[in-house]
Amino acid sequence: MNTNVIEVNNVSFGYEKGNEVVKDVSFTIPEKSITMLIGPNGSGKTTLLKIMVGLLEPTRGDVKVYGDKPKNKRGNVGYVPQKLYFDQTFPITVMEFLQFSHKGAGDDVIEALESLGIRELSQSLIGTLSGGQLQRVLIVRSLLGKPKILFLDEPVSGIDVGGEQSFYELIKDIQKKHNVTVVMVSHEVHLVSRIADQVICINKEMLCSGEPEKALLPEVVEKLYGKDVSLYKHHC
Amino acid sequence: MFEILQLEFMQRAFIAGIILAPLLSVLGSFATLRKMSFFADGIAHASLLGVALAILVGITPFNGALVVGVLFGALVFLLERYTKLASDAVIGILFTTGLALGIIIISLQPGYQPDLISFLFGNILAITWGNVWVILLLSVIILSVVFFLFRQITLLSLSEELAWTSGISTGYLNLFFYILISISVVLGVKLLGIILVSALLITPPVTAKLITHSFRSYIFFSVVFSLLAFIGGLFSSYYFDFPSGASIVVSATTIFVIILILKTLFYAQGFLQKK
Repeated sequence: MNTNVIEVNNVSFGYEKGNEVVKDVSFTIPEKSITMLIGPNGSGKTTLLKIMVGLLEPTRGDVKVYGDKPKNKRGNVGYVPQKLYFDQTFPITVMEFLQFSHKGAGDDVIEALESLGIRELSQSLIGTLSGGQLQRVLIVRSLLGKPKILFLDEPVSGIDVGGEQSFYELIKDIQKKHNVTVVMVSHEVHLVSRIADQVICINKEMLCSGEPEKALLPEVVEKLYGKDVSLYKHHC
Repeated sequence: MFEILQLEFMQRAFIAGIILAPLLSVLGSFATLRKMSFFADGIAHASLLGVALAILVGITPFNGALVVGVLFGALVFLLERYTKLASDAVIGILFTTGLALGIIIISLQPGYQPDLISFLFGNILAITWGNVWVILLLSVIILSVVFFLFRQITLLSLSEELAWTSGISTGYLNLFFYILISISVVLGVKLLGIILVSALLITPPVTAKLITHSFRSYIFFSVVFSLLAFIGGLFSSYYFDFPSGASIVVSATTIFVIILILKTLFYAQGFLQKK
């Protein structure tokens, strides 16, 4: 296994005192791997991802990214939020948005847009994009910063039904092409073993961690999603 | 044709307005996107406390308004950030309190207060060469800063989360932006008055948004419309003997209505496609 680039040590977090949404979670993420954080709604996945990005500070424990605080490693990190909350009438084109996001970005913007198949969107206003198009633009934005780690929060949430698998394949291609470590939050339990090198199951507390085939046992899935959901059902 | 510019008070008003219109419209372009219109209105009203305090201690009311405007701007920022109070609630409480304290202090002063009326409604006759120089100096500094930080302020206006992950110190930049808006609003108060200043901050950018398809053209047209509004308002004020601040605001609204009607007609004719 490669060296660990992220270390999460006994991390807890609560938005309000006495109401922790993440409880005493510890794991490591190896370099150039794809790690999927899975768990039901409200299990603390997005919170944990935001702690690793540095957007939130843990109430207990600590996170190290390349041995340092996440906020000091922002230059090494690309972040794609689950949903971008912005004024839909914001009059900014995709090209302007990408150029403003990275000082000095020029011809590489077109190249990056082309690599994700969205070159024709360069002059579109970002408020007019579909959920899937916006996700791709946000991925381009992250890649333009030449990150070592790419954090994706439910990247297929805006994708049409049926398009999830090809989108995950795209992320796998990006990981190989750009040689990055990918950490993503996902609901697609059935795709974990096909996409991820490592899975982390969380429902406020950590329920599993490791290679998907070994860690994602039926009893863990049951514990995460309840009795009515099993790996078998997800595969159907 | 330009006989009005031969009058010295009109020269001062014209220079002040030609500088202030781009300043207010550029900052207003960001403020409207960030839903900060009420903030600008609040700062303008709260600055009356500064005018009152300045009258009380015998300093220039304009300087008092500037100091109080900046302090209120910073206070709104801190309360928004460190309490769970809604932004509009914080602004609502602070601006009415500032206004109320201003009225109480002024009521304690004997006699008629011409400074108060000129701050409430704006008065081009009250603009001195000293005011023009302060407006010029501060406007050049603020516009230079905005130009220098244009990329960062744009990203911050779009999404604070994305701006932060792009390496921007969003906390400091936000505070800085609040202060820049506060100063600009108070500068504009001299020309348009406390009650009307936010119109020049809001109406030109909103008008520009109707017709622009990129961020750079949005800023450009905001400036163009604010200059047209100011010049149109100043001329109509002179020739029809209307109050200057009100004329400028009505001029800005007229431009907005014309653009809105033209846009609607062009859509109806199929010349334009909906964004």
